[in-house]
Amino acid sequence: MEMAPRRGECRKQTEEEETLMTQDSNVVIDHGKSQWSDLWKKEDYLAIWLGFIIIAVCIAVYTTFGPKAEIAEKIAAANQVQESELARAPFKTVAWHKAQDEKAGLKASSSSFGKFITHWTKKPGSWKTNPLDAFIMTEAQAKERNEKGMPGYEEAKAKAAAALTAAVAAEEAAAATSFQDGALNDAAKTGIDAWRDAHKAEADAKKKVGYKPFNYFPSLIGLCFFIAAIFGVGIAMMGKSMPAFMQGFTIVFLVAVLAYMLGGQAISKQYGFGAEAWGVVLGMLIANTVGTPKWVLPACEVEFFIKTGLVLLGAEVLFNKIVAIGTPGIFVAWVVTPVVLVCTYIFGQTVLKMPSKTLNIVISADMSVCGTSAAIATAAACRAKKEELTLSIGLSLVFTAIMMIAMPAFIKAVGIPEVLGGAWMGGTIDSTGAVAAAGAFLGQKAMYVAATIKMIQNVMIGVTAFCVAVYWVTKVEATGTGHAVGAGEIWHRFPKFVLGFIAASILFSILDQSMGKDLGKAVLDQGIVRGGTRLLRDWFFALSFAAIGLSTNFRELSKYFKGGKPLILYVCGQSLNLVLTLAMAYVMFYVVFPEITAKI
Amino acid sequence: MNEKSLPVRLKNFVLATGTALAFVYLFLPLLTNSCGILHRMSVYLDNNGIDPTRYYYTDVEQVQEGEEYLRSVLEK
Repeated sequence: MEMAPRRGECRKQTEEEETLMTQDSNVVIDHGKSQWSDLWKKEDYLAIWLGFIIIAVCIAVYTTFGPKAEIAEKIAAANQVQESELARAPFKTVAWHKAQDEKAGLKASSSSFGKFITHWTKKPGSWKTNPLDAFIMTEAQAKERNEKGMPGYEEAKAKAAAALTAAVAAEEAAAATSFQDGALNDAAKTGIDAWRDAHKAEADAKKKVGYKPFNYFPSLIGLCFFIAAIFGVGIAMMGKSMPAFMQGFTIVFLVAVLAYMLGGQAISKQYGFGAEAWGVVLGMLIANTVGTPKWVLPACEVEFFIKTGLVLLGAEVLFNKIVAIGTPGIFVAWVVTPVVLVCTYIFGQTVLKMPSKTLNIVISADMSVCGTSAAIATAAACRAKKEELTLSIGLSLVFTAIMMIAMPAFIKAVGIPEVLGGAWMGGTIDSTGAVAAAGAFLGQKAMYVAATIKMIQNVMIGVTAFCVAVYWVTKVEATGTGHAVGAGEIWHRFPKFVLGFIAASILFSILDQSMGKDLGKAVLDQGIVRGGTRLLRDWFFALSFAAIGLSTNFRELSKYFKGGKPLILYVCGQSLNLVLTLAMAYVMFYVVFPEITAKI
Repeated sequence: MNEKSLPVRLKNFVLATGTALAFVYLFLPLLTNSCGILHRMSVYLDNNGIDPTRYYYTDVEQVQEGEEYLRSVLEK
């Protein structure tokens, strides 16, 4: 995002370029100067370097020096069991499921490095009545919580054990006839399904007896120094004052920590007010009342935090995910979404005549793709102002909270089937967490479909960011000068961090594909990403929101909301999204591919 | 902003922060407890450990569950 002073610099630069262009008449001339030194002096490149250093360390630790080989061996053994069981019986046996559970339990993040990085990147946790619970849990508190959850766990455990005994007995009865008796096979399948349900309930109950005492203060202090150091080096390479950055950074970090704490409260979470929203709100409250101290402002490096976070987010944009629910999912998430995005943008420009194209596209992407993450990526790709990002995310949060509650209630009232309802919510509710919440409220199948559709849509942010960046430099900014621009100028203006974002996405998609689904899940997803890049990405975004708040003026923000156009745009775009997604989900799941729906 | 004296600015900060906190931690719980559907949702989210504030799929455990379930039923 463009910070205000840079926007000024840009305008000045553009004016100089326009003067030069006027002198050159209509001859297409490139005035952008990209230099080799940009590689180690410009923010975009530094974000890529920093992001890729983190990625490279995580890959090296979890693969070359990590437990990859050991995990691969265990997966091979489990696969062998599963293959022989599938050859033995016409259904998935108890042994097959046990082997599957063994594979599911394999996590590279359980290694010593995984534990180390998870410990040192901990963020404040959840709480209900005492904010300190977000930071500290004593031995006595942990014991009390575990004791509270123990009866439920014991009950679930006993039920799971009984269900397993019944499933084994039913399977043995079927095996006695060499699986030739259809009725016994069906009884075995029913018994195994019942055991799986009981097993899941046991696993859920187990989470409530796994509390351990913690104190996050030391790790938060350590993390503050670490992040300040890595970004401080980048700041110094950009030619800015590293000590000034380090000094102000403590406040930005503190606001982010407080935001995590406030967003961790149960009711706040229920309504979707998480750390990101609190970071902006808290920062803005400080900036617009007591005033952000001048010595803090050098640390409000919104763009640097966001761009680095986005490069890391690229590791989570896996293109292989788009086939998770087959062709219907691709149509609901990858056909409707770009149509809604483009239509909303055109509507904003032609009907509403929104003065800011960047605000127009950020709201369109935010509403049609996947809320906050799409807003961040698009805003950075088109260099929107931080107030525009704040406004877009604010709108998204409000409508997400409403839709998360209203949609399942409406679907239940009208009697829409679970799969259709799930696909509809997955394609329309902005935030993934809210999609899971709304889906779960409707039913388990609805949650599975909704969450998977959202995941497929999440992957679209890479394509969206890239297309928006290309469109902006080739069309929007180019036409702004009144002259055609050449390839050199386009390259000069192109937000390079987008290339880092896309490169990370392609790299991880290839790695995921080459490792195979089980090894990919255990090492890449449950190691490199969840035990590495994601932990820091989360912090970088939290820091950027705190920095946005600390450097945002209420009056500036209110200017963008003048006339209520952003609200009208969001409502109209979301209405189109609701209609198109429902229509496409119905056609795909109930007309074209009913066999897929029947299996779900 | 700096035209105002420090006590006034501090007062504004306390008032604004207090209002924001009161909205989230007093009004919203009141709303939740007084409305059946909201209360049910609150209990449901708490029991199932779903966090609606998480915006990307890797942050939400239920996405993985859904993916695994769909993979298993569609592969049959």
